[in-house]
Order: sequence, then structure tokens, then C-alpha cells
Amino acid sequence: MNEIILMAHVLFGVACLVTAAWLFVDVLHANETNLARIRRMSWGAAAFMWLAFLIGGYWYVTAYKVDKAIILKGPWPFAHNMVMETKEHLVIMLLLVATYLPIAAMDNLTKSKDARKLMLWVTAMIALLALAMDGEGAIISMGVKVALLPH
Amino acid sequence: MENTTLSKRTIAFGLALAVACVVNAIIVVVKEKSEAVMGGMKKVLGHHWTTHSAIVIVLFLALGGLFGLARGGRGVAMTTNSLIGTVLSAVGAAALIIIGFYLFID
Repeated sequence: MNEIILMAHVLFGVACLVTAAWLFVDVLHANETNLARIRRMSWGAAAFMWLAFLIGGYWYVTAYKVDKAIILKGPWPFAHNMVMETKEHLVIMLLLVATYLPIAAMDNLTKSKDARKLMLWVTAMIALLALAMDGEGAIISMGVKVALLPH
Repeated sequence: MENTTLSKRTIAFGLALAVACVVNAIIVVVKEKSEAVMGGMKKVLGHHWTTHSAIVIVLFLALGGLFGLARGGRGVAMTTNSLIGTVLSAVGAAALIIIGFYLFID
């Protein structure tokens, strides 16, 4: 069950990343025909991030201690000491930026250049932070794997 | 005709985002450096990270509402470039504090 929870966490995190990248392009071409889609997808990106956060948070609080012990005994202790420690706190900022996205999308993007500019920065921040979280997650998984390999 | 203004809600929650991110980084440093704070946070919601997340999320929502009520309900006045600069600086500084802390200090 833990593996399913962890895969769901990654799935929703990647869905948030992909949605943010989609939105970046959609906002570049914002007009009356895609405005409703931009707003719906902004809510979608926020929803994906909340799901990733809640599922990942549940796993972190209830199951991570086993992985942590394995990582700390292995050759990559930094996968916890540095990578997980930063990930668990940077992800809170990603959640807030993703939550801000539908708020920013409520402005009139077709008529306001400034509103579009803000949306582009917000979607770019989400995509970059989500990519960083994805990479950190990979390092943490690898920290467990290298600890379990025969030496 | 292009409109160059942002809504008061967008400015208010943008500023709230900036403040909440910096507070997030400050809490990291304080709880890691103080056993009493860490212990207290564990007691409140059962895990320090859960309490930490709850504080930052509630702060973001509360400040967003408060900044929207500033100037007699007209909200905080700010240009788009200032808002973007503030948010990017805050997110960047908070990320550097967190990464720097675990890389060099903790």
C-alpha cells in the first residue's frame, strides 16, 4: 500500500508540473477563446498540488521513518540529511505558489498585459519548483536503493 | 486597450505568498536550532512538519485576507513589477535560506 501511496504522490506532482507548463504556453496566447480553459486548468494545477502534498505528507508522517533509517545506514546519508530535509520544506512553498495560481488567473488575462506577465512568472515558478521536487524525490529513492544494494 | 492593473485580491495574496515563504524559512531555522520549539511543534499536531505546514498555510490565507482589507477595503497598492519582484525575491531568498541551512549549518 505504501508504494501505491508514494506513486500517487509522484503522479499528482508531475500532473501539477505538466499543467503548469501547459498553462505557461496557454497564457502566452491568452484570448477570449482559451480564458475559461486557463482558469479551469489553474484550479486543476492547484488541486493536483494539494493532492500530491496531502498524499506525500501522509506518507512522510506515517511511513518515511523506515526509509530514513535505511538511508542513514547506507552510502548516501545526504539523501535524507540534505535532500529530504530541504524537500519537505520547499514543497510548502510550492503548495502556496500553486494555490496562488487560480487567484492570479481570476484577473482579466485577455485585457491586462500585467496579469499575463504575473501568470507567466507564477506558472514558471511552479514548473521549476515541481521539477526540483521531482529530482529530490528521485535522489531520496536512490538513497534507499543504494543502501539496500549488496556492498 | 490594454489594462495594466491587477485586482486587489491578486496583490493581497501575492504579498501574503511572499511573507509566508519567508516565514516558512525562518521557522525551519528556529525549530532546527531550538529543541523546545521542535518539541512544541511535535506536540501541537503530532509531527513538527504537520504543525509547520499548518502555520504557513493559515498565515498565507490570513494575510491574503488582511492585505485585501488595507486602505479601507481598497487593498494594498502596488505595481505589477514590484509585486513580481517581491514574490520572486521572497521565494528565492526562502529557498536559499532552507538549502543553505541544511547544506552548511545543520
